[in-house]
Amino acid sequence: MSDRIRIVVNGMPEEVPPSATLTDLIGLFGEMDPDLIVELNGRFVFAQDYAATRVAPNDRVEFIHPNFGG
Amino acid sequence: MLTAEEARRYSRQMQLPEIGLEGQVRIAAGRVMVAGLGGLGSIAAYYLAAAGVGCLKLVDRDRVALENLNRQILHSTADIGRPKSESAREKLRQLNPHCRVEAVHASIDDGSAEALLGDCSVIVDATDNRETRQALNRASVRHRLPFIYGGISGWDGMTATFIPGRGPCFSCLFPTREVANGLSPPPVLGPTAGIVASIQALETLRILVGCPPRLAGRLLRVSGLTMEFHSLPIDRNPLCPVCGGRTA
Repeated sequence: MSDRIRIVVNGMPEEVPPSATLTDLIGLFGEMDPDLIVELNGRFVFAQDYAATRVAPNDRVEFIHPNFGG
Repeated sequence: MLTAEEARRYSRQMQLPEIGLEGQVRIAAGRVMVAGLGGLGSIAAYYLAAAGVGCLKLVDRDRVALENLNRQILHSTADIGRPKSESAREKLRQLNPHCRVEAVHASIDDGSAEALLGDCSVIVDATDNRETRQALNRASVRHRLPFIYGGISGWDGMTATFIPGRGPCFSCLFPTREVANGLSPPPVLGPTAGIVASIQALETLRILVGCPPRLAGRLLRVSGLTMEFHSLPIDRNPLCPVCGGRTA
């Protein structure tokens, strides 16, 4: 049994631990932006749910950086 | 009612069944705050004045600088050093003398947002930082006024419409109060600002004429690099510090 699962992060295939949470992935991919937007399979995820949300094989995760310029 | 000159001026948009005479009269009765007169505000304010919005309240604390002119097309080289609010008022009055322009050279924060908002019924966010947006959002939630967010960075931009009481607010999406310090201004490209601000102006006109805003509860992302638009539904955050937990 593999100890990694395949998911897609920002359009790129990635292998991550099978029980990874969104909090884990944010750390793993070095996302430091306090205003980061996380989309999981086309759905917006609130920051308070990152720690309890685990990814499954073939999930699509988007880390979106906010645009605050005007 | 409209004068013959106004009816002719707006005739091409009045041909739209969603606008017509009734919609045009509603647009003329509209009072809209455009917060920020940079890349986004230049475009949004220009289209709203052209469309015949009765009163525009323009607020910006800055003066025109040379490095603004790649995108802030309401201002010109001769305006360098002038308050953006003053430069904008002059251009918009030349464009449409029927539009009453109230220009204020001021900063927007929690202390000033309410007074600056006055009796405007829609807020177009064309500011350049999260903190000012959060101050405007709190005023929007308190007075139940639509808040039309727009932001740009480099090739990309995003926009969403927040209707208090009927969906999420800006802080449902961006709840953090952490002050990002040491950030240098992002790179920006004029046409990206133009796309985002044009969508903000469209949403404003929709609201004024009574068409449902299409970006309520939806974040639209625009990429000038991939030439793709993506939209992401956003729910109301039950833990939102502004509209969710009723702590505001």
